[in-house]
Amino acid sequence: MTRKLRLGLKDIYNRFLTNKKFEMTFYHQQILKFKEELYSNEDLYQRVVEAKSFIDKNYFKDIDLNDIARAACFSKYHFLRLFKNTYDKTPNQYLRELRIEKAKQLLHSGIPVIDICNTVGFDSPSSFTGLFKKMTGSTPTAYQAKLKKSNLIPTPIPLKYMPYL
Amino acid sequence: MKIKVTSVMVDNQDKALKFYTEILGFVKKTEIPLGEHKWLTVVSPEAPDEVELLLEPMGIEAAKVFQKALYSAGIPLTAFNVDDIQKEYERLEKLGVKFSMKPTKMGPATLAVFDDTCGNNIQIVQV
Repeated sequence: MTRKLRLGLKDIYNRFLTNKKFEMTFYHQQILKFKEELYSNEDLYQRVVEAKSFIDKNYFKDIDLNDIARAACFSKYHFLRLFKNTYDKTPNQYLRELRIEKAKQLLHSGIPVIDICNTVGFDSPSSFTGLFKKMTGSTPTAYQAKLKKSNLIPTPIPLKYMPYL
Repeated sequence: MKIKVTSVMVDNQDKALKFYTEILGFVKKTEIPLGEHKWLTVVSPEAPDEVELLLEPMGIEAAKVFQKALYSAGIPLTAFNVDDIQKEYERLEKLGVKFSMKPTKMGPATLAVFDDTCGNNIQIVQV
């Protein structure tokens, strides 16, 4: 009787195992495999993404590394390294590039340089002009004039949610 | 150039229209009879003038082979974005939709895969 019961249970367990395996599709298995390879530390990773989306939402405000790290509950130096590992640039580099990209789009719509500087989060026109020249090779005024003359439309960069891997 | 139409292959257009509108919640945009089949598209009520989804009949045998292969491997034919995947998963499951993958976190995205009853796996994504 006990033996029969044991065999019966074993049979049910085996059927459960094969069923489980059968239920998971090839695609599902692949997803779990890549998840394990790429995103093994779910929580940590989620917070780095949160930090990036904090920058995406607040780039026009007066934010710095402290604010960004705090938004994702990180200590500053630990965070800096994680962010760079994920996106291949520091949070500050990312913030600066985003501000310049937004500025380029605003310049195209004909908004005066002096207004754009504040709109995209720079605290002074000189820091804006300086960085813009460094990153694009021309001053905002020259860039705007060039756009107007050539009728070129700057290609908008789609907001990325998948990070650099 | 713009992306205006994309398609899912379906084994029966009338059944597909019912599932994609009544269950998923899309709305019919165009229906043009073309002999045995029709040009039949649905859109999301959230973006009625953006990309249309063509419910495409499988007129050739090879399409059926391809669809079957994808289906049995659990590979989604296409994916739709949702704001709240957990809510959507619960809503659809209550309506009897079968999921081969429940909401699963994948880095910044959460994915789930369901059966559209027309021969396909469809993925929903929350980012």
